[in-house]
Amino acid sequence: MTTPLLVRFVSEARDLLQAAATCLLRLEKSPDDEAAINEVFRAVHTLKGSVGLFDFPAFTKLVHAGEDLLSAVRAGQLALSSELVDLLLDALDQVSAWVDSIDAIGALPDGADGVSRDITARLRTALPQDLEAGAAVVPLRAEILSSIEWLPAVPAAERLAALRAALSGADILALEYLPAEDCFFSGEDPAALFRQVPGLLALAMEPRRDWPAAEALDPYCCLLRFRALTTASRAEIEHLFRYVIEQVALTAVAPHLLAVAETGLSPAVASILDGQRVILELPAGDDLPSRLTSVARTVENVLHAAGQETTDWREAVRATETSGDTAPLLAVLARLLDARPEVKVDAAAKGLAAAEGSVLSSPDLRHASRVLKVDQAKIDSLMNLIGELVVSKNSLPFLARRAEEVYGSREMSREIKDLFAVVDRLAQEMQAAIMAVRMLPVSEVFERFPRLVRDIARKLGKRIDLVIEGEDTAADKTIVEMLGDPLLHIIRNALDHGIETPDEREAQGKPVEARVLLKAFQEGDQVVIEVSDDGRGIDPVKIRAAAVAKGVIDAERAAGLTDQDAVNLVFLPGFSTAGQVSDLSGRGVGMDVVVSTVEKANGSVSLSSVKGEGTTVRLSLPLSMAVTRVMMVEAGGGMLFGIPMDHIAETVRIPRDSIRHIKQSEAFVLRDTIVPLLRLDTLLGLERNVWFGDPTEEDAVLVVRIGNTLTGLVVDHFREGMDIILKPFDGILAGLPNYSGTALLGDGRVLLVLNLKELL
Amino acid sequence: MTLFLKPRTIATAARILVIDDGITMRLFYRTVLEAAGFVVEEATNGLEGYEKVLARPFDLLIVDINMPKMDGLSMLRAIRRDGATMGVPAVTISTESKDSDTLKAYQAGANYYLVKPVTPETLVEVAHLMAGVPA
Repeated sequence: MTTPLLVRFVSEARDLLQAAATCLLRLEKSPDDEAAINEVFRAVHTLKGSVGLFDFPAFTKLVHAGEDLLSAVRAGQLALSSELVDLLLDALDQVSAWVDSIDAIGALPDGADGVSRDITARLRTALPQDLEAGAAVVPLRAEILSSIEWLPAVPAAERLAALRAALSGADILALEYLPAEDCFFSGEDPAALFRQVPGLLALAMEPRRDWPAAEALDPYCCLLRFRALTTASRAEIEHLFRYVIEQVALTAVAPHLLAVAETGLSPAVASILDGQRVILELPAGDDLPSRLTSVARTVENVLHAAGQETTDWREAVRATETSGDTAPLLAVLARLLDARPEVKVDAAAKGLAAAEGSVLSSPDLRHASRVLKVDQAKIDSLMNLIGELVVSKNSLPFLARRAEEVYGSREMSREIKDLFAVVDRLAQEMQAAIMAVRMLPVSEVFERFPRLVRDIARKLGKRIDLVIEGEDTAADKTIVEMLGDPLLHIIRNALDHGIETPDEREAQGKPVEARVLLKAFQEGDQVVIEVSDDGRGIDPVKIRAAAVAKGVIDAERAAGLTDQDAVNLVFLPGFSTAGQVSDLSGRGVGMDVVVSTVEKANGSVSLSSVKGEGTTVRLSLPLSMAVTRVMMVEAGGGMLFGIPMDHIAETVRIPRDSIRHIKQSEAFVLRDTIVPLLRLDTLLGLERNVWFGDPTEEDAVLVVRIGNTLTGLVVDHFREGMDIILKPFDGILAGLPNYSGTALLGDGRVLLVLNLKELL
Repeated sequence: MTLFLKPRTIATAARILVIDDGITMRLFYRTVLEAAGFVVEEATNGLEGYEKVLARPFDLLIVDINMPKMDGLSMLRAIRRDGATMGVPAVTISTESKDSDTLKAYQAGANYYLVKPVTPETLVEVAHLMAGVPA
């Protein structure tokens, strides 16, 4: 059903829609932002162009109507009101939904035609009446020079061909075409026009002025100038260019014009020689001798390379050597340059750099545009393969040991080890490289919030300024992708509960427009996302009351909590589920969901709030979760298990007789704290090692920290720590909550990695 | 004592020294110029360039202006002060395109001035002309 082209279209359309929505919001804030209106227009225009490749008439019509509306806004015929933005955003939403549908079923949903008609009609009614009639904006007539002073610049070979044609009786026409800068938007294709010109003798496609810097280059703006020599008749050309005839200059070329230009110097030669003239005319001090030497050598080289006579020049150099006067040199240069007096040094230098060849062949730009769009699944599978490579290279040391111990070849063993060192380095570099590919900027998720905040704020009747900082901060794609939902919860909470209504704010002497700051930055190997608002903050008193009312904690404990701890009650699962808390002057909706999602990605959430001043929620997440560091432990008589290093507080050995028994359970004292003791064997339902009662024997205890509680975990032996690529279970095994997944060890064994949170 | 003298190659390829701190630019110059038959040496900053110019003669210098340690113009001034090296033709290539930048380069001792980005065709043409080797 779905073709690669359609897949590409879906991904492009999503990008374009996002870009359009972002710019629309920017426009609403600052209606004069010309870059934003151009970008919205361009996004919608491109979308219209792409969808035209497929048979989705409803889609095409709607996008077309949107484009017309934007075009009117762009031309200043229509002011962009909030209502208009709403209308356009609605249209974009509809189109988004259609894109989803195209992605899912390869077609538009039923009833799309009707929806399209409705929205299209609404868009059309917003258009000024005269525009609706379809009056196109007439492009300004481009300035056309009807002279053919550019004739000498035509390469000699082509000029000679034209001369030959002229001498054999053909009429030569010089054609100069300056397409309108926005010609691509009116469906013109200047290059294609020239492909149809009969009897084309010479064609130069050049920038009409210096190319702007790469970052300022507008690829949709036609800056080209076309100059051609042709044997076609004037009528033929006029017919071919009938739609753009006012942008075309046609001049008949007399044969002698083609011949005369031939004896001149090439532009590069003339430009370099003119440079030497400029240098000689510069005021000179004690650097005159060196200047003369280098100029003498340069001119001689240039003349020699260009096949010109050098005798005059040499004589002039000798004359200058004796007199110290540069006049003879300048005279020779002037004579040489006379043929082309119009050449100016800087113009020629710039022309050489920019005009020769198209801008796309310049190395800088070619590099800039080289961005690949790759399916995420491909990157993921690459990541998995590299993970396996990392693991399988770990088997080389085993092989080396076998070579030495079993086959008795120390030589071989050493060679294998050398090879291992190389493979190891390569594997690590590959892993680092692919991790870098997976890094995404957090703007991927931040992008949708301006829209969301605007919509919610309008619905709630609040005035909110969302400030985004550090959206370039990058993190692994899995991290960035999981950020969306928690952030949505947090921001929604802030808008719903944290921010006061404009009246309340005014009464408290705060600015009417509330400020929500969404900020990302990197801290060590963590990426930190902060959402802060200047709203009413969280009242610990009310939180305590609500927690008690919901039975999350009892009244006595609630009273004993510090204010900060009380505020943190919102993270407790029981707190937010029932009854809803919108009557509460704080947060609470789904905060436990936020915590669990973030913790699943090995991150943490913290919250600080000052009553009356605002609240800040802070998410800290690892930059990457691709590689997990685990500690291996032995349990159940030789079975290996991995335990994520993040959870491990310390390892201790405690004598068996110092274990306290409290009813059925065990505990031990760790620096004045009683720590409950669990046995991994028992937890996993494995057979316990038998103990014959020697009190001096010690248990290996792994002290792990889950949340804020410490637990001792008795294992048989501690083993080494290692980096692994964790592979989650799939299929029926995914239902096993006690394990977070598996990893392959260097010797081929499979390591089960425990999910302590579930296990304990 | 007999000295075995190697016969001199008749057509010695022109030698170009490229002084640019950008590794990509150096690779670009080298690839393009070597393909056109030049012998290319590289220096990563003005100081290194100056040392190389003193060490052996070149037919053309291609000089970036903005470089660490010693910028291109200072290097050219140094080269022009030395009797043995003061005549070597030099092109500066820079992103600055104002007339005043061109004049500054000429004043420092450049013989020509190109603006980045330079197309391979332009580079080769200018190199041929300024090194005095017919294309």
